[in-house]
Amino acid sequence: MSPELDRIVRAAAGRIIAALTARFRDLDLAEEGFADACEAAARTWPAGEVPADPAAWLYRVATRRALDAVRRRAVHGRLLPDESELEPACEPEWQDEDMLIPDERLRLIFVCCHPAIAPESRAALTLRLVCGLAARDIAASFLISEATLHQRLTRAKRKIGQAGIPFAVPVPAEWPERLEAVLSTLEVAYAKAHADAAGNTLQASFAGDILTLTEALAAMLPDPSEVLAFAALVRFAEARRPARVDRNGMMIPLSEQDPALWDRALIEAGDRYLHRLRNMEITGTRALQAALHGVWCARPSLANPPPWPTILALYDALLRERDDVIVRLNRAVALAEVAGPAIALAELDAIACPRLDLFQPWHAVRADLLNRLGRKAESRAAYARAIEMAEGEAEAAWLRGRMPAD
Amino acid sequence: MQYILLIYEDESIYAPDKTGELLNTVVAGHMALVQELGPKRLGGAGLQNTDTATTIRTAADGSKTMHDGPFAETREQLGGYYLIEAADLDEAIAIARRVPIYREGAVEIRPLLGQDQRKSG
Repeated sequence: MSPELDRIVRAAAGRIIAALTARFRDLDLAEEGFADACEAAARTWPAGEVPADPAAWLYRVATRRALDAVRRRAVHGRLLPDESELEPACEPEWQDEDMLIPDERLRLIFVCCHPAIAPESRAALTLRLVCGLAARDIAASFLISEATLHQRLTRAKRKIGQAGIPFAVPVPAEWPERLEAVLSTLEVAYAKAHADAAGNTLQASFAGDILTLTEALAAMLPDPSEVLAFAALVRFAEARRPARVDRNGMMIPLSEQDPALWDRALIEAGDRYLHRLRNMEITGTRALQAALHGVWCARPSLANPPPWPTILALYDALLRERDDVIVRLNRAVALAEVAGPAIALAELDAIACPRLDLFQPWHAVRADLLNRLGRKAESRAAYARAIEMAEGEAEAAWLRGRMPAD
Repeated sequence: MQYILLIYEDESIYAPDKTGELLNTVVAGHMALVQELGPKRLGGAGLQNTDTATTIRTAADGSKTMHDGPFAETREQLGGYYLIEAADLDEAIAIARRVPIYREGAVEIRPLLGQDQRKSG
C-alpha cells in the first residue's frame, strides 16, 4: 500500500477498533476484524478506486468480518452476545458512504490503561489499539522482541476479557487513580516519540496521536488539570521538533535552537492549555514541567538571551516536588548558566544515585562542564562515555562535535 | 463448625484459559465429591488462572495500590474471603477496597471459572 494509504489506515485504526470494541465487547474480535479490513483494502484499493471515505469503508468491512466471526463462533457452540447488540436497527453499511463511526476512543484508552493491567503492557496496548501502530514498531521502540511484545499484548487482552475489565469511562470517584494510569501511559508513549529527534521514523509519527488523544481527554474530562499540563507539554515539545536537528541530522540543544523554526500554532495551543491550568492554580510535577517548556517556547528569537534564571527557579520548585537524578541534572544545566560551571559541577558530582554511571545524560552534561572549566582530558573521557551510550545518531553526532581536541 | 477448604495446585498443568481434557477429568472428580458430600458442601467454585488476578495492597500508612497479578506471599497469611457478585472488575475493585485491613495486607480479586465474560469484557 502507498504511504498515503498507510497513513489513512493508521489514522482510522483507533477510532474503528474502539467502535468495534464498543459494539462486540471483544478486543480480539475488533482487532481481527480491522486487520481483515486492512487486508481487503490492500488487495482492492491499489487495483481499483480508493473509496471516497476510506475510514467508513474500513469500518464497514471490519464490522462485517467481525459479524461473520461471531456467527462462526455461534456455529461452534461458543458464547454469543445478544443478537440485539449485534444487529443495528437498520443496517448502516448500506446507507451512504459517509456514515459516522462512533468515537469510543476515550473508553478504549481507559481499558488499555486500566491499573489492573501491568504498567509495561499499558503503553504497548494503547499504541497498538488506539494509535494503530504496527507490532514490530512498538517492539522496536521499547527495545523488546516482537515475540515478547505479542506475549504481553495477548496476556493483557486476555486479562481484560477474563477478569471483566469494563469498556467504560470510570465513575468520578475513580478519576485520580485511573487518570494517573492513563497519563503515565501516554507519557511513556510520548517519551518514545520524542526520543526520536530527527522525527523521520514511525516512532515520531505517533507523536501526532498523542496530540489528538490529549486534546480529546482535555475536552471530555470534568477536572482535567493534570491532562491540561500534559497536553500543554506535548504541544510545546512537538512545536520545537522542526528545530531539534540541523540539515545534517545533528542534534541542536534547546538553548541554541532558532525560535523562528518553532511551530507557532502548536505553541499557541500549548499556551492556551497552560493558561487554563494557571486559572485553576494547580501546582505539581506536571504543571511545573509544562511551565518549563512554556518558558522556553516564549523565547522570541536567538537574539534574546535564554531564560536561564526563570528556568532555574522552576527547577528549584520541581526539585521540591520530585527529587530525582533527572531533575537534578537539568537543574545543574541551568545552574551552570546562572552561577557558573564550577558550582554546577559540584552539584552534579554530589548526586547520590547508585547507578549514575549508567545514566548517559549525566556523562554528557558533565563532559560539557569539565570542558568549560578547562579540564580537557576528563572532559574527553566523559564525552567518550556519553557518545558510546547515546541513543540516537543525532545526539552522538552533536556530542562528537563538542568534544574538545587534545 | 464450618470450614473452608483451599485448593492449591500448579495451574500451568491446564491450558492458559483453564480448559481442556485435564480440566474435564478434574471437574469430574469434583462432581463426584460434591455428590458424595451432599448437604455438607455449602459452596465452592473453580478460579480462573492467576494471570486474571488483580491485587489491592494496603500499606502501613493506609494507602492502597493496585497491581496486575496475584497476591505474592510475604508475611501475611490468608485470613478470610468474600464471594461477591459484581457487574465488572471495577465494581469488584471498589468492593475490595472497602474490605477492612488492619495495618498492612492485601486483597486479591479472582474471577470464578465458567462465566460468560464476553458481556463485561
